[in-house]
Amino acid sequence: MTVAEAVKTNAAPFVGMGQIVTAQPPTRLLSVLGSCIAVCVFHPRLKAAGMAHVVLPDSAGHSGSPGKFADTSVPALLAELEKLTGAKAGYQAKVAGGASMFAASGPLQIGAANAAAVKAALSKANVRIVAEHLGGGQGRRIEFDPLEGALSIEIQGLPAIIL
Amino acid sequence: MTRKIDAMVPELVILHELFGAATHEASAAMCRWTNGLITLSLDEVREIPLESVCQELDWAHELVTMVVLSLPGDVGGEMILTFDEANGRRLAAALLGREPKFDGEWTALEKSALTETGNILGCAYMNALTRLVGVELVPSPPYFVQDYGASVLQQALVSQAMTCDQALICRTAFRRADEELNWNVFFLPTLALRKRMEDALHSTT
Repeated sequence: MTVAEAVKTNAAPFVGMGQIVTAQPPTRLLSVLGSCIAVCVFHPRLKAAGMAHVVLPDSAGHSGSPGKFADTSVPALLAELEKLTGAKAGYQAKVAGGASMFAASGPLQIGAANAAAVKAALSKANVRIVAEHLGGGQGRRIEFDPLEGALSIEIQGLPAIIL
Repeated sequence: MTRKIDAMVPELVILHELFGAATHEASAAMCRWTNGLITLSLDEVREIPLESVCQELDWAHELVTMVVLSLPGDVGGEMILTFDEANGRRLAAALLGREPKFDGEWTALEKSALTETGNILGCAYMNALTRLVGVELVPSPPYFVQDYGASVLQQALVSQAMTCDQALICRTAFRRADEELNWNVFFLPTLALRKRMEDALHSTT
């Protein structure tokens, strides 16, 4: 099944920029990342997961969808997962993304800033990052499977990676 | 989900007029560059929720050949020229006076032919917008990129995403005689540039 087919049939919802989506097996979560970060939080025992597609590091008082900013997305994602599972604790995280797709002008390296902010937000929420695949200069197409807690990553020209 | 011009909000109608004028000039430049083969027309100017951008643009999930030009600064944006692989190779071959080949790595010369195409289009657009809007817009040297479309779009949309949950996207279509080509130019202005464009058109009415 192609990505487009999986998305259309909702076998694997696509998590767009600024979105937070939760899932239980057999549903998987898909996304494509450049400078954005996918924060995948999952409960290994309860087999539930959520993905936040973080675009910017800091809300700095700006309004907007909570999933867009690292500092607001982590609490919002955990709240959605607690609604789904009833569990407040026992979560782990895997993160990917934060590339620099083409030379950024000026001092803002948004991919690196997003990565740092996501790590800080997860640390503040006491969620341990058990795997990460960050940085570089290429896009990532990713899929998260809540059953196995596995994050698979495709990068053009490289073998697929499973974290 | 393309909106017809008469159903667009007034701000988008204004921007459609302005980009239409710039596209007309870019089309003339493209026509000269390709010895009359290729022309452009403005396809749409629309606002899409950030979370839906990748879904709305079918190519975002896939590997795409692109040439990217940046307009640095607050009053700036990104321009992305996208090709499907086969037509990108055909254009490069036509510009180099060779038979196209459809496999193997892109050579430095083929990439150079496409980036120069992006350069010509980008400069034509920016010269027109500079004159119409009254602000100097100087594009960066073009980058040749082959990657997932959404990956490039995300970085291009960062500036808009900082203050807005909607993305303004202007799409231009390409034609060769009566055939529509699977190429597009996407222009993603910053909010500051968008405001300058709207102000420029308001001041002339």
